[in-house]
Amino acid sequence: MRPFDLVEPATLEEAFHLLEGDDPAVRPIGGGTALMLMMKEQVFRPVRLVSLRHLAPQFGAISIDADHRMIRFGATTSFSELEHSAVVARHLPVVVRTMRTLANVRVRNVATLGGNLAHADPHLDLPPVWIALGAQIVIENPAGPRIVPAEDIFEGYYETNLRHDDIIREIRVPLNASQRASYVKITTRSAHDWPALGIAVRLEMKDGLAHHPRIVLSAATNKPTRLVRTEALAHGQPITPASLRELGEAAVSEADIASDSRGSADYKKHLLRVHLGRALHALALEE
Amino acid sequence: MSTERTVRFSLNGRAVKAHVASHESLVQVLRDRFDLFGSRESCGQGLCGCCTVIVDGKPVSGCLYLASFLDGTSVQTIEGLAPADDRLDPVQEAFIEAGAFQCGFCTPGFILMTKHLLAENRAPSDDDIRHYLTGNLCRCSAYPEIVAAVKLAATKQRGG
Repeated sequence: MRPFDLVEPATLEEAFHLLEGDDPAVRPIGGGTALMLMMKEQVFRPVRLVSLRHLAPQFGAISIDADHRMIRFGATTSFSELEHSAVVARHLPVVVRTMRTLANVRVRNVATLGGNLAHADPHLDLPPVWIALGAQIVIENPAGPRIVPAEDIFEGYYETNLRHDDIIREIRVPLNASQRASYVKITTRSAHDWPALGIAVRLEMKDGLAHHPRIVLSAATNKPTRLVRTEALAHGQPITPASLRELGEAAVSEADIASDSRGSADYKKHLLRVHLGRALHALALEE
Repeated sequence: MSTERTVRFSLNGRAVKAHVASHESLVQVLRDRFDLFGSRESCGQGLCGCCTVIVDGKPVSGCLYLASFLDGTSVQTIEGLAPADDRLDPVQEAFIEAGAFQCGFCTPGFILMTKHLLAENRAPSDDDIRHYLTGNLCRCSAYPEIVAAVKLAATKQRGG
């Protein structure tokens, strides 16, 4: 690694000022666990890093709206704060379950939710979960804040459409007491390896039929991707062996899956067929 | 430009300061400035746990943590774990009694992680232990003895 200018603004205005210009070597840093790896490999050679950690008092809280319709996660919240939050355990158990096999305890203690989104590695576990849950991302910018659906910030492999002077402020997740959700991380080497594919699913069950499903595929694609045609096909369907077979085939034909070191495209397609069906079946059986 | 700075923090209970460059990691500073060699950079990617250090009560990977972020923190290393010169922490005792190492390179990291596992969970199951320690690798493969040591340490800490 090489020296760089490290600054720690206490206000958003100061942070914007420090990010001014269009030098891609000037970037915000959250916990830094992912950036450190890129800097060590010299894939990323920063001129200046703008640390967001002193913004934590405003940016680091988890709160639930009084009417219990939305949870807000500040962007500098660490993964372990999420993991140990009683509010999250109660209202979004899928998020707490996802933490168990996400990196390890030490990384979870340091890595932040905002940094995780901005990193845009398609193998990350939380982005597909946020997308399945219908999360909205609040982004601050000198021109004013904007709110976008989580899936809309991802462009491709390690690529977002966040602008140079954007700062992720908050992740908002709508709550719905009747929703069921799961994330399946499929690893093909060791249990805690990067996934060969990740599948996040949320749905409601009404009279034995799946309603408003969201199905998101990650790791096997170059960005976390909603399988919207499969979602449309699943809406209003019973969860039976026949419908699961049909949905598995629909997902495989919809997803753009490539081969990599964790499995051939054919193998991953087979994993998708099998594990999407199992995930939907398990959700349908949930009480 | 602030490519260097002086950080003041508590190190194993002692107030210290260090002049650090922006790109230096916590594990580098512990070894180069303070002669504390118990945390080691091994994989350099946060996967193996050999560089485990406790910052503000939480284990972190010293190889992925910028030393510049140390200002105002409280840092504990394996060197600061034993309560006295002639007495070990119960987790250290348990690792010795269970023979939970061969070369010992990964042991400080395993012991510090175990300390924190037991702070969160007084009686962890095998599954809890294996999940919690998933980010610690032992290339001598002493895993069965390590799991036994964690259980022994849990018993000791419960006063058993």
